[in-house]
Amino acid sequence: MAATRGSSRRVFELFVSQIHWTLATKELRDYFAQFGTVRKCTLPFDKETGFHKGFCWIGFSSEEGLRNALQKESHILDGIKLQVQQQKRRSFRSQYTNEGETDMS
Amino acid sequence: MLEQQTFTKSAGVNSSVLAGVLSCQQSGCRSLGVEVFLSAGELFAIAPHQKGKVQEEPVLSVQNKQAQHFDWALNKLDSSVRRTGRITRTLLLRIFHDMCRTGYPSSNQALLLLRSCGSLLPEVPLCERTELAHMIWGKLQDLGAVYDASHYNALLKVYLQNEHKFSPTEFLSKMEEANVQPNRVTYQRLIAAYCNEGDIEGASKILGFMKMKELPITEAVFSSLVTGHARTGDMENAENIFSVMRDAGIEPGPDTYLALLNAYAEKGDINSVKQILEKIEKMEGYLMDRDLLQVIYSLAKAGYPQYVPDILSQMRYERGYIPDAMNLSLNLITQGLEDTAFQVFKSFPTLPSENHSETSMDYGNFFLQHCVHMDKPLSKLKQFCDELKEANMHSSPLQFTLYCALESKKAALAINLMKTMKEEGLPLRPHYSWPLLVGYQKEKNVQGTIGVLKAMHELGVEPDVETYTNYVLTNFDDIQTFRALLQVSLNEQFFIYLSSPSMPSVNLSHFKGCLIFVSVILVECFLLFFSTEAVGYFLYNLIDSMSDSEVQAKEEHLRQYFHQLKKMNVVIPTNIYRGIRNLLAAYHVPELIKVCGYINTEVSALEEELEKLKAEKQPIGNVLKQLIVALCAEENMQKALEVKAKYEPDMVVGGYAALINLCCRHDNVEDAMNLKEEVFRKDSSVALDTNKYLALVKVLGKHGRLEDAINILKEIKEKDIPIKDTTVTSFFHILNAAAMRGEVETVNRLHESILTLGLAKPSTNLCTPLITVHLEKDDVPSALEATIDCYKKYGKMPRLHDILCRLIEQGNTELLQKAMDFVSQERGEMMMLYDIFFAFLNTGKYKEAKKIIETPGLRARPGSLQWFAEKCIATNQMETLENMVEMTQKLFECDRDEMYYYLLKLCKISNDWRKAEATWTKMQEENVIPRARTLRLLADTLKNNGQEVPFDVPEVIYVNALYMPLQCNVTSQLFFFILIVEAYNILLEAQKKDIMFPASAYSTLIKALLAEGCLEEALKVKNIAETHIKGFTLNDAASSLLIITQVRRDYLKDAISTLKKVLESDMVPMSLAVIRLIQALAMKGDLESICTVEKMVENLATSIGLSRMLFVNNTVLAHIKKPATDLFLQYVDAGRVDDARFLLQVIIYQERNSSGQKIKTLLDLVPDFPDMKIVYSYLLKCHALDNDVVSAKTLFEKMKSENIHTDEIFLKRLAVLLKNAGEPVPFTEPPESFHFYVNKLTQERQEISSHAE
Repeated sequence: MAATRGSSRRVFELFVSQIHWTLATKELRDYFAQFGTVRKCTLPFDKETGFHKGFCWIGFSSEEGLRNALQKESHILDGIKLQVQQQKRRSFRSQYTNEGETDMS
Repeated sequence: MLEQQTFTKSAGVNSSVLAGVLSCQQSGCRSLGVEVFLSAGELFAIAPHQKGKVQEEPVLSVQNKQAQHFDWALNKLDSSVRRTGRITRTLLLRIFHDMCRTGYPSSNQALLLLRSCGSLLPEVPLCERTELAHMIWGKLQDLGAVYDASHYNALLKVYLQNEHKFSPTEFLSKMEEANVQPNRVTYQRLIAAYCNEGDIEGASKILGFMKMKELPITEAVFSSLVTGHARTGDMENAENIFSVMRDAGIEPGPDTYLALLNAYAEKGDINSVKQILEKIEKMEGYLMDRDLLQVIYSLAKAGYPQYVPDILSQMRYERGYIPDAMNLSLNLITQGLEDTAFQVFKSFPTLPSENHSETSMDYGNFFLQHCVHMDKPLSKLKQFCDELKEANMHSSPLQFTLYCALESKKAALAINLMKTMKEEGLPLRPHYSWPLLVGYQKEKNVQGTIGVLKAMHELGVEPDVETYTNYVLTNFDDIQTFRALLQVSLNEQFFIYLSSPSMPSVNLSHFKGCLIFVSVILVECFLLFFSTEAVGYFLYNLIDSMSDSEVQAKEEHLRQYFHQLKKMNVVIPTNIYRGIRNLLAAYHVPELIKVCGYINTEVSALEEELEKLKAEKQPIGNVLKQLIVALCAEENMQKALEVKAKYEPDMVVGGYAALINLCCRHDNVEDAMNLKEEVFRKDSSVALDTNKYLALVKVLGKHGRLEDAINILKEIKEKDIPIKDTTVTSFFHILNAAAMRGEVETVNRLHESILTLGLAKPSTNLCTPLITVHLEKDDVPSALEATIDCYKKYGKMPRLHDILCRLIEQGNTELLQKAMDFVSQERGEMMMLYDIFFAFLNTGKYKEAKKIIETPGLRARPGSLQWFAEKCIATNQMETLENMVEMTQKLFECDRDEMYYYLLKLCKISNDWRKAEATWTKMQEENVIPRARTLRLLADTLKNNGQEVPFDVPEVIYVNALYMPLQCNVTSQLFFFILIVEAYNILLEAQKKDIMFPASAYSTLIKALLAEGCLEEALKVKNIAETHIKGFTLNDAASSLLIITQVRRDYLKDAISTLKKVLESDMVPMSLAVIRLIQALAMKGDLESICTVEKMVENLATSIGLSRMLFVNNTVLAHIKKPATDLFLQYVDAGRVDDARFLLQVIIYQERNSSGQKIKTLLDLVPDFPDMKIVYSYLLKCHALDNDVVSAKTLFEKMKSENIHTDEIFLKRLAVLLKNAGEPVPFTEPPESFHFYVNKLTQERQEISSHAE
């Protein structure tokens, strides 16, 4: 884990939600592999219920994979639509702290 | 036995507290001072209780919260009933338990609950509903709920709804006993009860009561009579009731007709039903869908489902049809009439799916789910699924049904469903088994686990690594079950998995306790699936997962195990063997290394190789070394030495090193030292590695060659051999080994050398052998001397506790006093008292211990108490720990919950639920308010032993889980986001379980989500919070963030309404939020909204630093999208000159290239503009910007003619313009720079200064 983080720190990540309970890591991995090499697929399971929580993170090893996946209009797996979006990472604070009051130009 | 007085005698001046107290206790008299002290102590003794509470939460607030929670629960019940016409048993029970816990159920609350036990529970079988009602009735009564007629009537209603058979007369007499007068409603319902049984006589009797009491006879009574006659089979009389009614002056209404309809329906007389319906229609009477649904129920119940479609076709699909029909459907399923239920369900008016292609709406989930809950047979479920699928109502009904089965842990059904799915060609996946395995895991039901695995195996779904790791392996406690798994599944993958190189990631802790069985099992499985590598990896990981002490404790087991493997001719590859050997070496179990060596062979091959090379006269150095190393690995010292002797000239350093180490392991100090000399003769610069040096020191020490050992230590220093943490640990082991042998000199000298050479820093651990060596020889005085010496030299006081214990055991009061004086002097009286307290406790001298801990003025030292408690827990000293907990009851500032927590911890470890339960009782006696973790620990212990948990286990874990991600101080944005998502999901999960969080948790999460731009999620959390917490409002900051986020998403209307709410609730928005909103509105040209917002924040503007110019600016901006003249005129009309001026300026900025046209137009519009000077100034500015010298000159002339004063800026600007154009300046140019005058003017116009830019 530490090693991969060290060698190429950027992971091109998708946040996938509305995952049907019938799908697990393998299915998601296989599906997203069509867009590029999937480096990681984190699908948290609830240890209390044995069902997953309905969302996961897909990490591509290249930006291309991420782009390909995002370009596809809708992702349907086992007949059910997945919600796919890029993993956000921008901070709210950095966006807003420097702006002034009445910038008119 | 040691008497108290023995150490008061010479307690020393410093031990005044001790001396004072002890002497007082002794003599039984108290000096005034002590008395005061004591009373203070008594006062303090009360304090811990209060403190315990304060630490968690003020009690009042807890109660408040409970009350709040309760209100919320009632609201939820209410809203559920209103929305869906039903509630779930879970919700009902939850509210009921809450009510019980709060203690004093109000009669209204009781009423609400009782009322809910009838048809509001369509998912619960009829008799269970009544049982529920009775249970609630009894329990609330015990809790002091006072029942009046309304309660009895509610109960009657529930009886009727649940078709419960009871004796109305008994009911009446019960009411009488309770001194509650029956009222009209009571009689009506009793009549209904008789009539439902077809007991007209009984009904008449009640009717008689009513008449006697002159109670009016209502339609309800007649309706009941219709039913009553019908149920006796007398339809004629039933019909006659209508005329009787009319004679009595009551016109039959829908209720009466419905009674008649139901009567015919029960007889299966569909023609009469239809006729009556027609009649009603003709009379312009009106039956609701809800009534018709009742008729369907009657038909179905009486066994005439074939007529149901006739009634369904009459439905009008009124508002609320779907929930009503759904409830009927559920009720029918509950009562075993699922086919009719399905008919009803299919009659639902389905909404045409808007985007059918993409996400097809699935209908019928509720139906399938309830069928599963009601244990409908597989064939039925299959039939429904097929129909749903065919009708395109559901895209994956089988999967959904499986989901329901899994969720409700119906293993057999789930497996059968999977079989069906397999037959249908639907994919089956390993994780489908997880919800079932999770259930068995919690119950520790190994049979269940194996059953599921077997079934999955038969379905051709082999469990994957995750299945085993997370859901299977954690279940094994004993060999039988493991064997059962082996026999049942014969799952090759499992063993491959067990032995795979990925094993390090797997938690092996569950194997720790059961090595022997693992070995047996492994033998079995290796017989089946032989793989050398697998054995090796497995062994390595197994040993690696064990702790130092565990390996030592299980040494014998491991030895047997290795022997067993050896017998089976199992061979471990050398690289893995080395790994194992290193592990064992680190665990200080040299004996095992030898045994382990038996299962590693490569010697013969190397010997052949060596001979071959030798014959070919090729260099053998490398192979020789390998052979020596291999022989060392085999622990074959004899042969290794022979080989070395044979090929001595070709020996390299690596070979020597291995050999030296081998000799050390075999206690062969002579050869080890000889070899060392030998290699040094070859090369004096050679340095061995740390471990080999340590092995030498150890073996030399063991053989009494102290000087040699010290020399090795010196060599380590000289050659600058790296010292690691493990090296220091090894030093300890070397010293400790010597101490165990009782070699005082060896221990002292080695210790001294290590420290003086600077190989290690003095530590308690390293000093311990200095004392141990004396204790081992039972020389307690020397041990005490040693520890005193140690303290003087190194500031450490190792094993003091053991010394004190020994002294107490030996009754050596003199030395004990000495020890105490020493401790008291060096570390203070308090420490001394604790030390002696623990020593008394540990030696079972509880009376003495009690006296010590009751020393007035003594405070709790949490760290010390914890140390001793943990020690008791580790050594399973329940009695000692119990005594400590009991004795510290009155100790000042003693955290009682903490104390009981330790006790419960030990109860849990020793799995003693009786003791745990007794502890719980004691806590109540002591009025300790337990922390959530304590309750959970207690609950765990009880649950693990199949005991009922007598309290609600707090779910605070969720709160913590929620806060944890939010409080994490992480720098990585990504990680932060993950944590927030985690928190969000925890919250949703908790929401499902109706678990509440404090308001602050919601606010924090909302803020975090907003900060990440997750508006929808934030709003969802907000909604949850609002429905859960009465009066929940976002705080100022969170609201402001919400506004900003809404603005970013361009939801301006929402943003305005958020702002409105903020202001209405007297909160203060952040100025940034208002600014963003105004700016966004300006960009939209939404003047009206800007105006609205301006009005809204009018009073706040100055206090939050909003300049009025913000609005002016942005109003102008908004106008730029529209004709600016409108506004200008408005301003002028309103006399708002400043604003008008500002508008002009803005126009100049925005329309630089229009040659001041707009301004001129404006001037034409308002020739009497009050401040022409300023207009002209801007005009000039326009001309200057355009380099329009002619216009500028004309303007100047015009101003002169109009006698308008030209200020310095004007003149300066004009002068610059003229000069640039090479024209003469016809006036005195102001001497300073242009900016000088701008600044001057700016200063004059303070109000614009900050915004004019």
